[in-house]
Amino acid sequence: MATDIQISIIGSAGDGTIAAGDILRNAFAGMGYKVISFDVYPPEIRGFGKCIARMRITTEQAYSLKHKSDVMVSLDDSHAIPHAGELRDCGAMIYEQGSIVRLPEGGHMSAHVGPGQLPYPLPIRELSEKSTGANRSRNIVVLGFIAGLFNLPAEGFRKAIGKKFRSKAAAAEASEAAFKAGLDYAAKTFKLDDVVFGPPVSSVVAGSTVEMINGNAAIVRGALDAGIDTFFGYPITPATSIMERLASEMPKRGGRLLQTEDEISAISAVVGAGFTGARAATSTSGPGLSLMAEMLGMGVIGEVPSVVFVSQRGGPSTGMPTKTEQSDLHMAVYGGHGDAPRIVIAPTNVDGCYRCGGKAFEMAEAYQTPVIVLIDLYLSNRYETVVFPARPPFEADMNRKPGKQAAAAPYKRYALTADHVSPRSVPGEKGGMHVVTGLEHNELGRPNDSAELHTAMSRKRHEKLKAALRHPDFTHFKRFGDEGPVDVGLVAWGSTFGECLEAMLKARGEGIRCAAMKVVMLSPFPTHGVSAFLADCKEVLVPELNYEGQFANLLQANVARQVTRLARVPGEPMKVEEILEEIRRLAGRGKSAQKAA
Amino acid sequence: MATAKNARHHVVIGSGVSGSQAADTLREREPDARVTILTLSSLLFYNRYDLPKVFRGHRDWREFLAYPAEYYKDHRIEVRRCSRVAGVDGPRRTITLEHKEEIRFDTLLVASGGRGYLPEELAEFRPLMHPFASYTEAVTAASLVPDRGHVIMLGGDMIGLDLARTLIDTRHRVTLVAGAQTFWPHEVSDEERPGLIAALEKMGVEVIESHDAGGIATIEQGAKGLSARRVLFKDGTELHGDVVMPFFGLSPSVEFMLGSGTDIERGLLVNPALRTTCEGIYAAGDVCQIWSDAEKRYRFFYGWKNVRAMGDLAARNITGGDEPWVPAQDEKLHIGSDGKIQSPFWEYH
Ligand SMILES: Cc1cc2nc3c(=O)[nH]c(=O)nc-3n(C[C@H](O)[C@H](O)[C@H](O)COP(=O)(O)OP(=O)(O)OC[C@H]3O[C@@H](n4cnc5c(N)ncnc54)[C@H](O)[C@@H]3O)c2cc1C
Repeated sequence: MATDIQISIIGSAGDGTIAAGDILRNAFAGMGYKVISFDVYPPEIRGFGKCIARMRITTEQAYSLKHKSDVMVSLDDSHAIPHAGELRDCGAMIYEQGSIVRLPEGGHMSAHVGPGQLPYPLPIRELSEKSTGANRSRNIVVLGFIAGLFNLPAEGFRKAIGKKFRSKAAAAEASEAAFKAGLDYAAKTFKLDDVVFGPPVSSVVAGSTVEMINGNAAIVRGALDAGIDTFFGYPITPATSIMERLASEMPKRGGRLLQTEDEISAISAVVGAGFTGARAATSTSGPGLSLMAEMLGMGVIGEVPSVVFVSQRGGPSTGMPTKTEQSDLHMAVYGGHGDAPRIVIAPTNVDGCYRCGGKAFEMAEAYQTPVIVLIDLYLSNRYETVVFPARPPFEADMNRKPGKQAAAAPYKRYALTADHVSPRSVPGEKGGMHVVTGLEHNELGRPNDSAELHTAMSRKRHEKLKAALRHPDFTHFKRFGDEGPVDVGLVAWGSTFGECLEAMLKARGEGIRCAAMKVVMLSPFPTHGVSAFLADCKEVLVPELNYEGQFANLLQANVARQVTRLARVPGEPMKVEEILEEIRRLAGRGKSAQKAA
Repeated sequence: MATAKNARHHVVIGSGVSGSQAADTLREREPDARVTILTLSSLLFYNRYDLPKVFRGHRDWREFLAYPAEYYKDHRIEVRRCSRVAGVDGPRRTITLEHKEEIRFDTLLVASGGRGYLPEELAEFRPLMHPFASYTEAVTAASLVPDRGHVIMLGGDMIGLDLARTLIDTRHRVTLVAGAQTFWPHEVSDEERPGLIAALEKMGVEVIESHDAGGIATIEQGAKGLSARRVLFKDGTELHGDVVMPFFGLSPSVEFMLGSGTDIERGLLVNPALRTTCEGIYAAGDVCQIWSDAEKRYRFFYGWKNVRAMGDLAARNITGGDEPWVPAQDEKLHIGSDGKIQSPFWEYH
């Protein structure tokens, strides 16, 4: 029996909502299920903002969260009530049965459980207090109840709880008691919902390992596996955890990490480190990327390998720091002065974060240029079970070495070559002395602003990137779904692709000929492959999380083709249903098509 | 749910047959009003006379629902499940739920029915018995009785005897420990009783005639490898069965109405128009005792058809009517020409 169950836990900051979600997804991953998970935090650092932990637990690979959950837990009704409608009919609504304060009418979850949903009121606070002497373990009581109600192996939960509280003996003990209290309560509860977990299916290849991690952690793992040795950064949501993880991991491997005073400093140091031959990177979000624009130009003209991990959030300016958006695409691809082409790659899932996190260093070296890995808050915080190969799939060194220099000939750092990539020497290499400057230069690196040279060097900087479209062992774009001509083709990038894939699969289930293409390499744009796909599509739909349709702009700048934009800025992942509805309309099916007619 | 400004809020306590019928009539007669049902149940309204079906293998609650979930959405009837009313303040027109939420009402219909009565001397054995008053209790009991299993029935009200009919039909063994509540709510004379007991025996029920709560001394957990329950009688005999099920009639659920400003005897006292002594508060179904001018006393009227008719009448009177209660079914228990017991209580539709 295939399992496809989504659980949402909603509470207030301080309720342990995210911690419960963390334990739960680790427990499911440990049992062998596939998990996709995405948490929502409040923008305030401390306070009573809303927290949501959502996870989808499956046996078949899933690509996005579902619109409706099968199980919803309220740890705080004031935050959970507006989401009550997101529980499907016959799903389980678990909430606190009592209240310690007087409530106005409608202030309790029982007023909002829809007639098709199934209520499970629990004395959560009382169970926590009785079992641990405090109400802090309410979140763990709920986990015990979930384990019991859905007949899940308690051992898997206990392991995940133990891991969470590894270094806190008192908390671990209280959690065990609270978990048992929830479990025992479930044993006395009559199960009415139709949520059933089938056995997990293991598809792990020998030698590989399965881990449940989020996008930021996957980027870090990719970077570490690719041999990152230097990092400079300045914290910013939602990229901060990249730096935090690297800060604890890099010293163990002899790497160096420095928190600089700002983003300008960070990128400057990265370009400087890249110049010396280091595998160097920084991480930031949209506002930080703006500050880095000037030095990225320096990296382009100096042809210095450097890697920038960018996790987008709602903008512009401070915008919506804890909401997701895909609105920095223009900035990533075009942002900056002068003709400053760079490589921009955008993974579409957590596994992709790992691969792009490592491949970025290969590309930066191979094409001697800054590489931006563009993700967003949704992907940064999204957990997925990822199968990691036994050996990291990254090359340790992709530098084109200058080789032995003829004694008399000066070293041409910017030699104009057939494939436009010049042999690169790093400081200290004998015979490789050269000048790097922000000024336009000749092959030796000496300042020169003649029309011919500027044209030749501009061509070099643009043309060398084309080889990146053939970079080995890298998925630049990929088609899914029906082969050959289709009624509707979706083209998407970044985190939204998961929702597109789900919508496409559902549309096919409804008999619509449909396919979807993910585009990972945004700059240089894989025009050839995308054009071939578009030629197969009667209608083209481009869903993305920004207001104008920035990817649609990029697409149309490269391929002359009419497309339908589905551009939204809700601050949260796009709804599969919304995409599906648009597919139906374009295919001349369903409600919306009839309405339009 | 959107309701017109100034629309009245009609609250119904109870999602049984009486309350559900009332909500339906209230909606029909006052389309703009807000209608809210408060209930202890975790399921929407289902017909309890259907519950014996669990012994015929029907275990999915969806089969039992009287209306699908859409009915409540379409009719704009809010159903607050798992919501226990803790108190009612009649003059302030406010209900307090056990979880401390306050609900204002313009009119209130109390249709809280009754819960299974258990004689005091058996109260200590409650954990060893399996009541049959709700879907969950029915499924739990059924899951404990194996094929051709043995059910020990205590009391034997008409709800229990209806179940006994199904149990016999599904080849289970039924032993009835009969007593004062056998045939409840029918009043059976000493002359009628032997004939009715004989009819039960003919039906296949093994009857142990006894007095005071069945003359039971103790009920015990069965020993390992033996039946699940052991019932020991005061005369030293004993009985082994898979479950022990109490059927001693119902006692009205009125505790939350204490201090509400309404008059209570055993049930909520209402006039023939089903109004309580507190303005704006009505009662219907198993919970209420209606003034009978003919008998000059307040009395209960049981049975499916009666309680449904009461719900309908109360709703009509809440929405401007002023009609008196007329029983919807007769109350006589008799033996048909085929020798079988016939009760208006068992006429469901
Ligand atoms: C198993 C079974 C079989 C039956 N079979 C038959 C039959 O064959 N024929 C027949 O005529 N009758 C039968 N009956 C009896 C019949 O069901 C009752 O007469 C009828 O249900 C009474 O309806 P009611 O609406 O008055 O109350 P009920 O149906 O008892 O409903 C009472 C409602 O009030 C709610 N409630 C109670 N207290 C509170 C509170 N404090 N706060 C909030 N809500 C509260 C309950 O949750 C429930 O929803 C049977 C009963 C049972 C249990």
